[in-house]
Amino acid sequence: MSDYIVEMKHITKRFPGIVANDNVSIGIKKGEIFALLGENGAGKSTLMSMLGGMYEPDEGEIYIRGEKVKISSPNHAAKLNIGMVHQHFKLVSDYTVTQNIILGVEPIKKLAGLFPYVDIRNANCKIEELSKNFGLEVDPTKKIADLTVSMQQRVEILKVLYREAEILIFDEPTAVLTPQEIEFLLNIIESLRDSGKTIILITHKLEEIKKVADRCAVLNKGKLVDMLDVKKTSVNHMARLMVGREVSFEAEKAPAQFKEEVLKVEHLTVQNEDGFEVVKDVSFTIRSGEIFAIAGVADNGQVEIADAIAGLTKVSSGNILLGGKDITNETIRNRTEAGISYIPEDRQSYGLVLDFDLSTNLALKQYYREPFSDKGILNKEEFEQFGTKMIDKYDIRSGQGIKTQVRSMSGGNQQKAIIAREIELQSPLMIFVQPTRGVDIGAIENIHNMIIRERDLGKAILLISLELDEIMNVADTIGVIYNGQLQKIASRESLTTNEVGEYMMGAKHE
Amino acid sequence: MSKDKIKRSLRYSLIRPISNEKWQPISIPLVAILISFIAAAIVILLIGKNPLQAFYNLLQGAGILPKASYAGYKSMLTDFLSLLNAMTPLVFASLAVAVAFRAGLFNIGVSGQMLVSGFLATIIVGYSGLDAIVAKPLVLLIGIVAGGLMGGLVGWLKYKFNINEVVSTIMLNYIAQYVISFFIQMYYIDPVSRQSQYVSEAARLTLVNVEIGNLKMDIPLGFILAILTAVLIKFIMDKTVVGFELKAVGSNRKAAKYAGINVGRNTVLAMVISGGLAGLAGVTYYLGYFASIQPKVLSSIGFDSIAVSLLGNSHPIGVIFSSFLVSTIEQGSTYMSSQAGIRQEISSVIVGLILLFSACGVYMKYKVSRLKEKEANRKESEA
Repeated sequence: MSDYIVEMKHITKRFPGIVANDNVSIGIKKGEIFALLGENGAGKSTLMSMLGGMYEPDEGEIYIRGEKVKISSPNHAAKLNIGMVHQHFKLVSDYTVTQNIILGVEPIKKLAGLFPYVDIRNANCKIEELSKNFGLEVDPTKKIADLTVSMQQRVEILKVLYREAEILIFDEPTAVLTPQEIEFLLNIIESLRDSGKTIILITHKLEEIKKVADRCAVLNKGKLVDMLDVKKTSVNHMARLMVGREVSFEAEKAPAQFKEEVLKVEHLTVQNEDGFEVVKDVSFTIRSGEIFAIAGVADNGQVEIADAIAGLTKVSSGNILLGGKDITNETIRNRTEAGISYIPEDRQSYGLVLDFDLSTNLALKQYYREPFSDKGILNKEEFEQFGTKMIDKYDIRSGQGIKTQVRSMSGGNQQKAIIAREIELQSPLMIFVQPTRGVDIGAIENIHNMIIRERDLGKAILLISLELDEIMNVADTIGVIYNGQLQKIASRESLTTNEVGEYMMGAKHE
Repeated sequence: MSKDKIKRSLRYSLIRPISNEKWQPISIPLVAILISFIAAAIVILLIGKNPLQAFYNLLQGAGILPKASYAGYKSMLTDFLSLLNAMTPLVFASLAVAVAFRAGLFNIGVSGQMLVSGFLATIIVGYSGLDAIVAKPLVLLIGIVAGGLMGGLVGWLKYKFNINEVVSTIMLNYIAQYVISFFIQMYYIDPVSRQSQYVSEAARLTLVNVEIGNLKMDIPLGFILAILTAVLIKFIMDKTVVGFELKAVGSNRKAAKYAGINVGRNTVLAMVISGGLAGLAGVTYYLGYFASIQPKVLSSIGFDSIAVSLLGNSHPIGVIFSSFLVSTIEQGSTYMSSQAGIRQEISSVIVGLILLFSACGVYMKYKVSRLKEKEANRKESEA
C-alpha cells in the first residue's frame, strides 16, 4: 500500500492537564534514519512510547508494514520487530551482559531431555558474534555494574538486536555520553542503517540530526510542525521550527566586571569512598561578577569539587573560604545560609524530592525559616503563594500547577524549578553543575541568559560542564581539570577551544 | 463479540467506585475490606454456617450491636468499652509503625519496645504502691522514655554503623523477650498464674469494674490519649518543620541531605518517636488491657500493627479506623463462636484476609488505572 514501514496516522494522546500528541501523522521508510526533533515536553517520547507498546493512543491508527496494528505491550512491539533503546537504561546491575540480554527470552535446553536449564554458554557465543557483527564489542561475561555508561548503552542496543528488531528507536541516546562516545554511537547508528535496519532517533541535539539523519519530523507542543529533508535544511531553520522562534547559539553578554573575592579554594583535596584521591591540591578563586567554569572530561573530579564546596562531600585537606570566612567544616545548612546556591548534576536524586509537589520542592531550602514557617509550624499559604509566583516568574510548566507531583514533570521543567529555587536564595555564590544536561535548545538559551544575568547582578558563579561549547560561550574564566588536578586557569579570551581540549586530555601542561 | 463487550463493561463498572484517584486512599482500603469479607463469607459457607449470622454475632460481641441478653452488670456499653480497651494498644502500635514508615524506616521491633517499656513500668511503678495520681502519669512517662530510648538505639545504630533497622529490631526483640523473661521468672513470678505478679490498681491505665448505675465496666483511660496522640502525630507530620524533614528523609535521603537536612539526626528522631509510641502501646497493653506480663511471649500486636498501619495508609487518622475494624473482629470472635458455633479461629482468618487484601492496595491501584486507560481507548475507537 505504501513504501512506509511504520505509519502513524492522526495520533492523539492526552494526559491529565496536557495533550502530549495532537493529531500527529508520520511515515517512516524502511532503511532510513528518521529523527524526531523537539523540545522537552514536545511529545517525542510519548509518540515513540506508543510505538514501543508502553502506551496506547487515544485516537489514531498505527500501521506496521502496511498492516493496522494495536500495540498493547512492549512484548507485542518486540514481536513486530520494534525495539526501543531507552534513555534511562533498564538493566539488572548484578547480572552479566548475557544474562541481561537474554532476560525474558532465555534459550532453554533440557538436561538429559528432562531438566530445563538456561543455555548460557551458547548465548554468550551468540552475543559475542552479534556484538562483533555490529561493531558493538563488549565482554558478554562481565557484570553490568563493572561497565561504563557507554558500554551499558551498547548492551541496551544489543538487547534489541538480540530480539531481532528491525525498527530501532533510540530515545535521547547521547544525553549521557562524552563527545568521543557520541561520535562512536553515531557511527554505529549509521552502520545499523546500512545493514538494513530502520532507525528512529529521538533527540533535541541538532548537530546529531544534521550528521546522521535522512529525514526529520519536528514537534512543538505536541503538534507536528514540519517534515524535513535533513540534507536540504539548515540547522538554524530546524532550531527555529523546534522552538517556534529565532534562537541564537551564542550567548550575548556584556564584558565582565570583577569585584571582591567571594570564593577562595586553597589546596583542596578530596578522597572518594575507596580512599582514592579524586581532587588533588586544587586552588582557585571566584570574584563577584565572574563566571568561573571548570572544563573537563567526565569523572575527572569536577563534580567532587562542587560537592566539597556545597558540603555534600568531606574535604580531606585544604580550605574553602566564602567571603573570607572558613566554611571547610560547616554543615550543609550553614553553608546555604552563608550564601551558597547549588544546582546539582543529578537533579532527580539530589535536586528534587520527586514524590513531593512542586510548591514544596520550590521551598525545599527555605521551609524552616520565616515566612515559610514560624516557630516550627509550616505556613502552607506561603508555600502556595511562593510556588505560584515562581511558576509565573520562571515559566515552569506543569500539569496541575503547584500541586503537580514533580515526578510527572518533564526534565526541562524540573531543571527550571531547581534553578528558580536556587536563584531565589539570593546567594553570593552559585554553583551550576551541568545545568543544561538533557535540556532542549530553547531552554538552554534561557538558562545561559539566567546565569549571565546573575553574574551581572554581582554573583560569583562556578559553572561545571562537560559541554565545551557551553563553557566557551558563557565563561569569563576557565579552569581545565584533568585527573583531579587543575591544569590551567586563564581568562576565556586567552584560550581557544582547541587549547582547552588539549588541556582536558592532559596532553598539555603548565 | 457482544458477550465480550458485556464482560468488559461489567469489569469497568466494578472498578468505577475506586477509579477516582482523589478518593483512592479511602476507597481502596474499603474495597479491600469488602473483598475480604466476601472471601470470609465463602469460608464460613464452606463450613456450613450462615455468614450473615456470623458477622452479626461478631458485631454483637464487640458491643456495636445489642445482644439478645446480658449477664448481671453487663450491657452493650460494657462490651463496647472492652473493645476500646483492647483497641488502645493497637492504635499506638500502628502509629509507631506509621511514623517510622513515613520516614522511610521499617520498625519491626514494636513488640520488643512494648515489652521493655511495659516491663520497666511494671517493676518501677506497678509494684511501688504509689498513689494513682502520681502512678498513672509516671507509667505513661516511663513508657514513652523506655520505648523512645530503645527506638533511638535502633536509629543510632542505623545512622552510625549503617545497620539495617529490620535486622536490629528483630534481634532486639529476641533480647528483650528472653532477658525480661529471665527477670520475671527469677523475681516477679506469680506461682499460680505463671505470669508476672499483678500490678497495683493505682498504676493501671484501665479502670477495672467501675460501677456506674447498675453496670460494671472497664474504662480505658489510654483510649482518649490514643486519639489525641493520633491527632498530634497528624499535626506534626503535616504542619511542622519536624514532620517536613522526616517526610523528606523518608522520600529521598539524598535530596534531604542536599537541602541541608541532617539525615542522621532525623533517622534517630523518627525512631525515637516511633519507639515512644510503641512504648505507649506497651504500657496500655501490659498495664491497661492486662495487668501482668506473660514470660517468653511477644505480643502479636507489634506485628499486627504493621498490617493495620498499611490498611490505614500509614495515615494517623486512617490508623484509628483500621485499628477499630481489626479490634472489632477480634473482640467479637468469642461471642460469635458461642452463638453461631463457628470456631473463634475463623475471626483470625477474617483479620488475616483483610490484612492480605489491604496489602494488595498498590496492585489494585495499578490495575484500576490500567483498566481505566484501556476502557477510555476502547470508547474512543468505538466512537
